[in-house]
Amino acid sequence: MKMSRLARNVCRTLLQGSYMTHGSRGVQTASTVNGPAEIGISTLQSSSPEGRIKCTLIPGDGVGPELVYSVQEVFKAADIPVDFETFFFSEVNPTLSAPLEDVVNSIARNKCCIKGILATPDFSHTGELQTLNMKLRNALDLYANVVHVKSLPNVKSRHRDVDCIIIREQTEGEYSALEHESVPGVVECLKIITAAKSERIAKFAFDYAVKMGRKKVTAVHKANIMKLGDGLFLRSCEEMAKLYPRLQFEKMIVDNCSMQMVSNPNQFDVMVTPNLYGNIVDNLASGLVGGAGVVAGASYSAECAVFEQGARHIFSGAVGKNIANPTAMLLCSANLLAHVNLHPYSRMIKNAINKVLTDGKVRTKDLGGQSTTKDFTNAVIHSLCE
Amino acid sequence: MALRLLRKLNVRPELRGVVNLSSAAAPAQLSDFDVQHKTPVVRKVHLVPKAHYGGRHAVTMLPGGGIGPECMGYVRDIFKYIGAPVDFEIVDIDPNADNDDDLKYAITTIKRNGVCLKGNIETKSEAAYVTSRNVALRNELDMYAYVLHCKSFPGVATRHKDIDIHIIRQNTEGEYAMLEHESVKGVIESMKVVTASNSERVARFAFEFAKKNGRKKVTTVHKANIMKLSDGLFLETSRRVAKDYPELEHNDLIIDNCCMQLVSRPQQFDVMLMTNLYGSIVSNVVCGILGGAGIHSGRNYGDHYAVFEPGTRNTGTAIAGKNVANPIAMINASIDMLEQLGHHFHADLIKAAVDKTINEDHIMTPDLGGQASSTQVVEAIIDNIDLYMKNKVSFH
Repeated sequence: MKMSRLARNVCRTLLQGSYMTHGSRGVQTASTVNGPAEIGISTLQSSSPEGRIKCTLIPGDGVGPELVYSVQEVFKAADIPVDFETFFFSEVNPTLSAPLEDVVNSIARNKCCIKGILATPDFSHTGELQTLNMKLRNALDLYANVVHVKSLPNVKSRHRDVDCIIIREQTEGEYSALEHESVPGVVECLKIITAAKSERIAKFAFDYAVKMGRKKVTAVHKANIMKLGDGLFLRSCEEMAKLYPRLQFEKMIVDNCSMQMVSNPNQFDVMVTPNLYGNIVDNLASGLVGGAGVVAGASYSAECAVFEQGARHIFSGAVGKNIANPTAMLLCSANLLAHVNLHPYSRMIKNAINKVLTDGKVRTKDLGGQSTTKDFTNAVIHSLCE
Repeated sequence: MALRLLRKLNVRPELRGVVNLSSAAAPAQLSDFDVQHKTPVVRKVHLVPKAHYGGRHAVTMLPGGGIGPECMGYVRDIFKYIGAPVDFEIVDIDPNADNDDDLKYAITTIKRNGVCLKGNIETKSEAAYVTSRNVALRNELDMYAYVLHCKSFPGVATRHKDIDIHIIRQNTEGEYAMLEHESVKGVIESMKVVTASNSERVARFAFEFAKKNGRKKVTTVHKANIMKLSDGLFLETSRRVAKDYPELEHNDLIIDNCCMQLVSRPQQFDVMLMTNLYGSIVSNVVCGILGGAGIHSGRNYGDHYAVFEPGTRNTGTAIAGKNVANPIAMINASIDMLEQLGHHFHADLIKAAVDKTINEDHIMTPDLGGQASSTQVVEAIIDNIDLYMKNKVSFH
């Protein structure tokens, strides 16, 4: 009399999909033949293809497209009800790049995005100081960057059982793009800290800690030197900590934090940082657990979530060589699936990655192996069903 | 207020400092009497950003006592099943504790999340300094308006049909001011406090609510013939506010007459506005007419926070753990919550499934005359959610 478990799951999947999708039909890159699409629940959101989830996809520069392709392969193999809306978006190839508004509108509509790394040149052709990454973040107000640094099985590193979450404010601070030469030879760069944004990121960090069941939040700062700017950030964190009496709160100066991170990273749980320090600590911590190829990250606004690698390196030396490690990007995609309530699929991908790493037979070059990106992807696909 | 007065009086600065000092130091040596009588009820709120990230909301969940925890379990099952973008932060409050630590923490979480779903919290301690936790929660968050939507379910057999009443109740003062003392041995005085500002706020809320929801009439319920000053003020205020809403009909009714009218001809009421204690009584009367404590959900609103709970605020300790409690009230509260957060799609879907389960399938718990257990009702609702999805049945 009741529906079978399977039918229910399928139905659930569709239902979950439907809340994310209320835009126009997009490019469907991950196709399904016998998938849930056949059941057809188009009355709910008539504009979406059968209640599937739509997600913006930005391959990015460098090895980005190769890694994104790996994600698409896995999604196809696992028959995951996600459709990608792909945009070529690049700062180093401005003529080919999709306009910023299109990308922003797509992400705002789909509310989720998976993004490769965008290369940023060291100088500006146009005299404009904002990078494309910054423009995208500002346009969508993606203020919180979360990098979950976690030791993976069978990945050789100096420290074991590292498990910390680094949360970074990424719309102000040193990245204000306000620089000028007041007198020839004298350049001033403005670092902006505001109470509103500091409070917001502090609250985000504490809320994230609560959600993930963490115990401690560490604020990273340099308020002993920048007493006003970083002082404001630190005070906002201290104020916010009072609302979370069951979380431990501590503060640490960024230089000490860097030293502690490389000598005893296990002491850290959740960390909250202003923009530049966050960038540095992210990369430092990523290096501890195996490098840019294995650490996933995400950026959040109130409405959208953009999933991208934790340490943003384009790895241009490896372009076309089929040697980049897709682990980070696959973890990003798993996090995306968890975010849109497709937990079974998310677990499936994570388990598959763990299994491949634990077996240790297929390893890319950065982890000391000889396998290619494609080998690794195929190994993950093989482990999906087991 | 005190500061403004001081400024007006042009007090010398050193004196001003003394005044500030004494008021700041006061909380340390408050006696029970002081706690009851001198703690200001309305507090200034420093707003923090709401917990809303990547399209998901964090919501405080207070399971409370009695049937609360099991009903919350059902709500979480349904939310998990349909993938509602809500993350619950669960805070358990120990009913036997002789201090307010858990409660304070719960209030803090509501302040930072903005929204809460709650069961009824028990207060077993009878010490004077341990206030009723439900009342303390409302006062601390300054949730001055309580809204109960009483609408007949066609599938529930009741004496009266087609009732659709919104009860709006002042939620923070009146008889619930908790100011009681024994002035002379054997003589207890209990103060009922009605203020112009709170009466005005709740009256404004009621009329705005009626206007926004396309209602026709607002009825103020009072006992101003006996309590000429306190209820008189409440009535006067609502009459004055009514003048700003000429499109809405406004009348008033004395509480005793109101109760009689409710049980004899409840269809005459539309939106009802009343003080705290009358609201408690009237909402229980109306819920009783419509099938009991297990169906309707109530909403507490302040300027900044919203708390959703089952409508009649009963704990249901006697039936806890027996799998007979009616889960509908808590599910309806969760629907209200989803609507508040703007997740209309999920709210409409659960609502449609609940309506179908009760009105068409007649799967109900014993309190509504059915045979089903709590879990069977929840199962049926989940099956109906499936059904709406599968057969492309429009549920709007």
